[in-house]
Amino acid sequence: MKDLARRVIFSLTTFVALAAVSFLGVDALPGDGCTALLGRFGSPAKVEACRAENQLNNPVLVRLRDWSYDLARGDLGYSIKRDEQVLKIILPRLRNTAIMGAVAALLAFPSAIAVGLMLGRYPRSRIGRAINQLSVIAMTLPEFVIATMLWLLLSIWIPLFPGVNVVPSNATVLQLLPNVWLPALTLAAVIFAHAMRTMRASVAIIQTMPFVESARLRGTKERVTIARHILPAALPPVVNVIAVDGAWLLTGTFVTEAVFNYQGLGRLAIDAISDRDTALILPIVLFGLAVYLAASLSADMCVRLLDPRLRTAGQ
Amino acid sequence: MNSSLRLRSGQLPVVVFGTLGLHALVALLAPYLPLLPTDAQNSAALLQPPSAAYWLGTDSLGRDVFSRVLHGGRPSLVIAFAATGISAVSGIFIGALAALAGGWIDEALSRVVDFMLALPTLILLLLISSFFGQDPVILSLALGFMYAAPIARVARSTTQALLARDFVRVARLQGGSRLSILTGEILPNVWRVVFTEVTMQFTWILLAFSSLSFLGLGASPPTPEWGLMIAESRSYMTLNPLLVIAPILMLATLVLAIQGLVDRE
Repeated sequence: MKDLARRVIFSLTTFVALAAVSFLGVDALPGDGCTALLGRFGSPAKVEACRAENQLNNPVLVRLRDWSYDLARGDLGYSIKRDEQVLKIILPRLRNTAIMGAVAALLAFPSAIAVGLMLGRYPRSRIGRAINQLSVIAMTLPEFVIATMLWLLLSIWIPLFPGVNVVPSNATVLQLLPNVWLPALTLAAVIFAHAMRTMRASVAIIQTMPFVESARLRGTKERVTIARHILPAALPPVVNVIAVDGAWLLTGTFVTEAVFNYQGLGRLAIDAISDRDTALILPIVLFGLAVYLAASLSADMCVRLLDPRLRTAGQ
Repeated sequence: MNSSLRLRSGQLPVVVFGTLGLHALVALLAPYLPLLPTDAQNSAALLQPPSAAYWLGTDSLGRDVFSRVLHGGRPSLVIAFAATGISAVSGIFIGALAALAGGWIDEALSRVVDFMLALPTLILLLLISSFFGQDPVILSLALGFMYAAPIARVARSTTQALLARDFVRVARLQGGSRLSILTGEILPNVWRVVFTEVTMQFTWILLAFSSLSFLGLGASPPTPEWGLMIAESRSYMTLNPLLVIAPILMLATLVLAIQGLVDRE
């Protein structure tokens, strides 16, 4: 427990430090909310008036302090460019990305574990090697290529799913659902390859270990050997991959969302970067950091539950 | 990232070698081949199917797709070579320096490397490109320094392992100067280990720039670049699928051939 508390405190301090660095980094970019609003050709007087109105002329450390206070109270700030509270802009987009990510995770992770387990038990089989090589292709090709190929295949040649998304960001889940499949399939292809390869390698090593051998020699049924002995021992590395890729599903989907014009957080990030809306960029970056820290923390805890040796190691 | 990766031993598969050779030839010779200019628009021949005049048809502005596809790898390749060079040289320098110096220098450099490994690469690139302009020099520098961190990490651990090896200690006992041991014994061996990582990075950087172009923040129109071509032609996929299939095939064969150099098992 003490160990866990230390881990949580470490994550929190890392977040605070990175948040401050991000604020200063975004602040150092040439341009702020006012230049974003008024454009490159806004007159200097107008930009100055806008800055004065939004307290952008305060020294940077004062603004960092005010911003931290607001953040601690749950106020993510205000986008001058979009004339809207940042939270109100982000929440519907976050919901859309989360739905897409959940579909991708459900498509990819359970099947990756099952296929990895199957292939790992016969690591030298030809089919296993072929599937493994094929998954290298999915890991190597960039998302925009996979996405465009899926679009061509499943939307144009075999018209199963709609291609370009025309649904607004605040559409209901039912309106959104038909548009989720293609981007979710793209993401699933990438994460399936990661998780499956890790599972395959892990199972291949674990099943040659003495404790598996001894279970078999004791006459334990093969089904039980897999469920009770191989699976719990083989899962920890996969849990880490699932945590990292799960975090990526929430924060790293810029390209896929851009391809299908899916109105999620990634699409919003690209828009915010393109119109240099710093007030909106910063919370999105922070959200990404928070998700990554939380994911690695929860992966640690899951691995602890799976591996009894680690539970006592810290004491 | 994965230390179990190493360069394929023995003979390289003919397919890998042939594909890489073809790509190198095309990328080097494209400007000298008798092709139509990549930016020559023909308003009388928009979105044409393949013909004798236009081998892969034309795009929405009536430009020759064949010529553009053959030229389309050059911008990313130039950036990938420049950035990989920067990341390899600075990564090995930082890693070897940290291992050799030890103490607080090692500690400080390792913390910097950890920090850089945690940076969200794509969003940082998008920011740099958006705020500082789509300048190939700036982008190469940014990519080079971002990707130096994993190399520095590998170079540091390799150097540390080498320092304890007998042949390095013998060279030291024989009275070799620090510099001669570094250049003669350590760097060649570090390079052999780091080379695989560098090969992988080359493809990641290539793809990062292509993705950036696809998002409209890498190569700027009318430059022929595969990622940008795919982005520009997506709306016309139904009329001439070759518009996206051709650059996808080029990009895929190049990247997979480079990955084919690396043995994964």
